[in-house]
Amino acid sequence: MTKWIRWSGLFGFIIVVTLIACFWLFAAGPLTKLAIEKFGTDALGAKVDVADVKYGLNPLTITITGVQLTDKDAPMENIMSFDSAVANIEPFPLLLGKAIIPELTLDGVATGTQRNVSGAIAQSQTKDDEQEQPSTESKPNEQSEKTVETPSSNTLPSADEILARETLLTEQRGKAFEDAYQYHGKTIEDAVAKLPDDKALKSYETRLNAILKGKFKDIDDFKQRKKELDALKAQFKQDKQAIKDAKQAISDGKSDLKSKFKGLKSAPGEDFNNIKSKYTLDGAGASNLTALLFGEDAGGYAETTLEYYEKVRPLLIDEEAKAEKQALKEKRLDGRFIHFETDRPQPDFWVKTLRFTMDLPAVNEQTGSLGQMAVEVLDITHQQNVIKRPTVINANGVNLTTIESIEFKAVIDHRKKPGKDSFTLVVDDWKVREAKLGLAGLVLDSSLLDVNAQGQLIKGEMDITGTAVFNRSQFSSKDRTVLAKELVGALKTINTFDVNATAKGKFSGPKVSINSDLDRQLSDAFNARIKQRQKELEESLKRKLEKKLLSFAGDYQDKLKELDLTEGSLSDAGKKLESLAKSEISSYEDQLKAEAKAKADKEKAAAKAKLEAEKAKAKAKADAEKAKAKAKADAEKAKAKAKADKEKKELERKAKEKLKKLF
Amino acid sequence: MLTMLANLFKILNSDSSPAQIALGFAFALFIGLTPFFSLHNFLILFLVFVIRVNLGGFFLASAVFTLLAYLLDPVSVEIGEQLLSHPELIDTWTQLYQSDMWRGFKFNHTLLIGSVVLASILFLPVFIIFTVLIRMYRIKLMAWFEKLKIVKFIKASKFYQAYERLGA
Repeated sequence: MTKWIRWSGLFGFIIVVTLIACFWLFAAGPLTKLAIEKFGTDALGAKVDVADVKYGLNPLTITITGVQLTDKDAPMENIMSFDSAVANIEPFPLLLGKAIIPELTLDGVATGTQRNVSGAIAQSQTKDDEQEQPSTESKPNEQSEKTVETPSSNTLPSADEILARETLLTEQRGKAFEDAYQYHGKTIEDAVAKLPDDKALKSYETRLNAILKGKFKDIDDFKQRKKELDALKAQFKQDKQAIKDAKQAISDGKSDLKSKFKGLKSAPGEDFNNIKSKYTLDGAGASNLTALLFGEDAGGYAETTLEYYEKVRPLLIDEEAKAEKQALKEKRLDGRFIHFETDRPQPDFWVKTLRFTMDLPAVNEQTGSLGQMAVEVLDITHQQNVIKRPTVINANGVNLTTIESIEFKAVIDHRKKPGKDSFTLVVDDWKVREAKLGLAGLVLDSSLLDVNAQGQLIKGEMDITGTAVFNRSQFSSKDRTVLAKELVGALKTINTFDVNATAKGKFSGPKVSINSDLDRQLSDAFNARIKQRQKELEESLKRKLEKKLLSFAGDYQDKLKELDLTEGSLSDAGKKLESLAKSEISSYEDQLKAEAKAKADKEKAAAKAKLEAEKAKAKAKADAEKAKAKAKADAEKAKAKAKADKEKKELERKAKEKLKKLF
Repeated sequence: MLTMLANLFKILNSDSSPAQIALGFAFALFIGLTPFFSLHNFLILFLVFVIRVNLGGFFLASAVFTLLAYLLDPVSVEIGEQLLSHPELIDTWTQLYQSDMWRGFKFNHTLLIGSVVLASILFLPVFIIFTVLIRMYRIKLMAWFEKLKIVKFIKASKFYQAYERLGA
């Protein structure tokens, strides 16, 4: 039997396996470190640093220390860092290429820590430059927007300041009206200049009389007069057209000026309404104050949370798709895995439990850190359908300084399509101190805050609602602006208020709204305090706008009357010219008609006599021919009768002879 | 190809017994026909190194069977599909599936279990057939073969002598 055993082979095999194990022990750590840094950097778009990676054999563990993940947008800061991560790894699944980690513990987790060296990578720098370009371009707009908004938020300006600052419709339309008046005035003036005056009309009358006076001496006289008359008619036609043009110009001018004047008249009202809503002089304007007070902070927190979520989410979604593709590929080319029912599922990657503690960010320098959050994440995997469990995040506040309790729970469930991600957040008795609100130097000196929020994301559509209830609130402001004073005064009367925020719609661009009963309370208080001032301002504005209107349209009515008179006189002149031309021309035409008629009658009588003589002659000729024809017919008739008689006698004779022969 | 042929004749004409050479061929079925990076192949390699089989014959046959596997893979996959989805075997597979060690062998992969079963079925026939064939070759053909002009020509060639010197 022993002759079948190759001892050298056995020792050789043991040596080879030992060498591989040693290589794995010593080289696997640095190789894993390099792999984490390379793939981490590629995935994050910024440098990922790992101080050291060590493997342990019994039990199989991996210890990663000094991990820093650079913030892509701020290369001198870490988006996250931790001192050490210790993971137990199940050995047999590792032979299948499956990393099953029963427990992963992170120590010294922190966000936003400073880096000693920049974590930017060349590629990301280029991309950043490209991305920053449009934002740089957009800055002037933002600046200008801020410039416009600043006065409205910090102080209530005077009526003169508002009128000087704003682009008023009254001014715009007044200018347009003035321009139109000048244009039409010039057009009408030009048209009127082309009209015949009284002198010209008189001259027409004289010329007409000369042409039509007395009878035409001969055909040349007629032709000469006709030629002069035609020239005069052409002149009349031209003058009539000039009158028509002038009337049209006046009509157009009147219509345009009337419509522009109507717009101009309504402009002060529209200007007033615009200014009123822009400078938040009414209750509706005050209702936006909640968004102004809390919108920036709430938006900032939401933005940061969504950024983190956006970074994590593709890992789940893409990996799912990749796993499906891989499964299809395996089935088609190289066979496939068939899974059986088990209570020990094995996805490709699975961290059963991840535990870490992290510091909560400081709200402001005076209050310092709020405490820590103990975070436990269960079942981190991209193949939830294999383990049949969703990823669950539980976070609770520990060592809290100014908060009674915080509880956060999130469930990332992608077992079935569509995946559903949901969360709930409950914060109890948060003692808020000296929170700057960013409007008119307002500071929330103290308040007791309760927060309750929940949300979900399905198929890229988010639906988040949150309520924050502020109790025993006290506000102050060091600003000396009117708005600041008014606001602090109004807020003094408010003890409890709530802020409701919702974010709905597409994940990439949700519709965010923030409202509060503070709106109503503040609106009432604010409205009451500034009512008087508002009234004064409104009246002042109205007066000034009316004054502006008058400056543009003061003598409009007089000008309109003048135009009406001009139009009336033009109409009279046109009528006179028309009747004058008509009457004279008709008498001349009558004369011509009478002469032509006499000539025609004479010619008609001569033609008639001639026609009658020819008729008589033709009749006599016809009668003679008729008599001759009758005589000829009678003769032929007699001849025929004689012949018939003769034939009759002959027949009678023949018949008699036949009878004779018969008897 | 010429090297492989020279190797084959060197193995056939070596001092190794026909059974050692045939066993090397039989073990090569597993390496050649089944996916290489599998836990069972680690055991096969262990056995091949420890048991006195002809290593030259084993590696040569592994290369040949790997080429053959391209043709046999569809058959292996089909066998695996049939086995893993066979109703009477489901309980056995489910039981094995509960163990991390067995899952480490990837028994639930259709190609792997199909090819292992195919290699196992062919193991004995290959061992017996090649043992017989090698014996027959050595008794009846080896002397005649050695006298062939082409063999003499190959053996006399510089390439073959250099190959011999390298001890391949």
